[in-house]
Amino acid sequence: MIELLAQTGLNALYAASYISLVAVGLVLIFGVMGVINFAHGELFMVGAYTVVALYADLQMPFLVAITFGLIFVGLLGLVMERSMFRPLRDNPLGGLVASIGFLMILQALASIGFGVRMEHIPPVTQEVIVFSEKVRLPLPRLFVMVAAVVLLGALWYFLRRTRFGWALRASAQDPEAAALQGISINQTARIAMFIGAGLAGVAGALTAPLVSVNPHMGHSVIVTAFIVIIVGGVGSLEGAVLASVVYAFVHTVVTTFWDGVIADIVGLSLMLLVLIVKPTGLFGTAERA
Amino acid sequence: MSHKRILSALTRRGFLAAASTLIGSGLLPGIATRVHAADKVIRIGFLAPLTGPVAAWGKPGLDGCQIWAEGINAAGGITIDGESHTVEFVGYDNEYDPAKARTGATKLIREDEVKFIMMLGGDTWPGVQPVADRTGMLFSTLLPSDLSPETTTLIAPAEVHPIYNVTGVEWLAENKPDLKTAVMCAQDDALGLPSVATYLAAFEAAGIEMQSEPLLFDPATTDFAPVVTKLISGNPDIVCLDTCYSDYVHPICEQLFQQGYKGQIISCTADFYDQIIEKTSKEFMEGMIFQFPDFDDPALNAEGINFKDPNKFFEVYNERHPGEWGAVSWEYASIMDLWKAGAEKAGSVEPDAVLAAMKDGGTGLHAFGEAKWWGKDLFGIDNALVGNWPVVVIEDGKAVIKAMKSIPDWYDKHGELLKKHMTAYNQMWNQRG
Repeated sequence: MIELLAQTGLNALYAASYISLVAVGLVLIFGVMGVINFAHGELFMVGAYTVVALYADLQMPFLVAITFGLIFVGLLGLVMERSMFRPLRDNPLGGLVASIGFLMILQALASIGFGVRMEHIPPVTQEVIVFSEKVRLPLPRLFVMVAAVVLLGALWYFLRRTRFGWALRASAQDPEAAALQGISINQTARIAMFIGAGLAGVAGALTAPLVSVNPHMGHSVIVTAFIVIIVGGVGSLEGAVLASVVYAFVHTVVTTFWDGVIADIVGLSLMLLVLIVKPTGLFGTAERA
Repeated sequence: MSHKRILSALTRRGFLAAASTLIGSGLLPGIATRVHAADKVIRIGFLAPLTGPVAAWGKPGLDGCQIWAEGINAAGGITIDGESHTVEFVGYDNEYDPAKARTGATKLIREDEVKFIMMLGGDTWPGVQPVADRTGMLFSTLLPSDLSPETTTLIAPAEVHPIYNVTGVEWLAENKPDLKTAVMCAQDDALGLPSVATYLAAFEAAGIEMQSEPLLFDPATTDFAPVVTKLISGNPDIVCLDTCYSDYVHPICEQLFQQGYKGQIISCTADFYDQIIEKTSKEFMEGMIFQFPDFDDPALNAEGINFKDPNKFFEVYNERHPGEWGAVSWEYASIMDLWKAGAEKAGSVEPDAVLAAMKDGGTGLHAFGEAKWWGKDLFGIDNALVGNWPVVVIEDGKAVIKAMKSIPDWYDKHGELLKKHMTAYNQMWNQRG
């Protein structure tokens, strides 16, 4: 039983890692720009396809593919900001609708470019850290955990310790007051979009060898991310990270000790419970909600 | 002045008359030619998922049908009442969505005037059934669990999913009698659940004990580590992957490998198994049992196999679609063999005439041998063509047919077990909504 619990804990840590990367990016975009980016799951998908293209097809080093995934999807985020979200800034539903259209475009482009079938990505390594006969941690999953800690730590430092980070947080708290202080709303929106999209991209790139990469893979990711954000508190980065950990542990434990369908029901029930008991989420404030 | 004259002469009526004459003189011969040519073309509908997570059980089938059609057309086409007709497939991507399947069926019948529609079935059939009832169109499904007494124009002539899975378990019990405990996982959908019931019956018939209840997971699952952790926590001799889609079979096998499992794996399919081997190892995959052969297998050249030149078909398929051979690549083409024989026998392409000809005598030539129209006991209607089915095992990195086993023989001995488990999972024809 101890071994089963330990393996379940490792499985949950991996899940929490990639979910938190996606969810934090989504929260950042919402917090700064006020946009619910429905195409966020597809940014995750694009990140995975950069690994297909660079690592699997062109046989470039995996680290290069991941780095490119982060930058390319970040740049894609800038395109979204400039072409969709900025012109629709005064239209609360406009950005949401535009992002739904954009996700369809990305899915169609992936289907045209790579086909509809699951992509095969050769394993980066088959090395496994063996703690005991029944407790094992494959290195690719460890990569995801380490990358999530490093990237989220860097983001925390950026937001708390740099002038750009302060500007970003100021814009998220009160865009008008921030603008009166000389902070460029366009500039902060660009930074938020690049970082948010880049985090989704790098999450997709890191997990690509471990999941089925196909044009529709973003759907389940975005659903999970929304649950996490609602539980954590809409607009709260700390809440997103904590809720990712809570959701991942609950879902993994229930899957392991009952089954996956019940785990989904429990995950959604957790969200409903939070909405009833604390509608602003674990870390949300009334203003953000 | 001349300009005005031209304008006055070019009245609206005059313009329309001139335009009509011009267009008519230019296009009518073309239209007439097309109508004439269309008289000799038989269109067949292909209504299956061509995109999305279930595309692996649709798109390769359409690719196989195109190869089949080229062969048939080059050999003179289909002879109906002494007249030769070419065959043309009209594809419609239903994305495994019932509403889109319904739209597709209507479009194929009304606009494309197809004479027969092949489907994957499953979750999409309920969307199509009202169209079938209204039009009387003949449909085929790969999943006989779609059959019921009401589905009089629906046939399952290629595979009796999931009933043939019993042959793999039977072979396993005969050849590896020391394996006594099993676990199973499946996606919670119309493909997964009847297959769960079938495997449970097969394991019970073989004296193999289930260590735990089958583990069901949401079809949206992407991380299978928790599923695998639970599956192997009791050290089972056998892990059964049910009828998981290839998007699940691959990551589950990879997780089994990474979490140190060393026992037997059995699955309905192992599409693109070479990729699973690359992600795990040849040694790990050695002995995996599944149900769908590669068609370069020499066993398919034996007498009694009713699929024309399977080795050549496999070769051409792989030349055109390298690395894409899967469970359904040949199945829809084999259905077309049956339909062609039925249409030629009936001297008609009309659905009712072809269906009557196909079922005439209660037997038919299935790809893997002579088979009988069967199913009343289980599906409420004898519209499934059942006979032998291959048991395939991975040996030295290659799928090999180890046996052809009879599904009716198994059912004669253990039919009550199958009905018991189908009933428990609400999968009998009179339980399905």
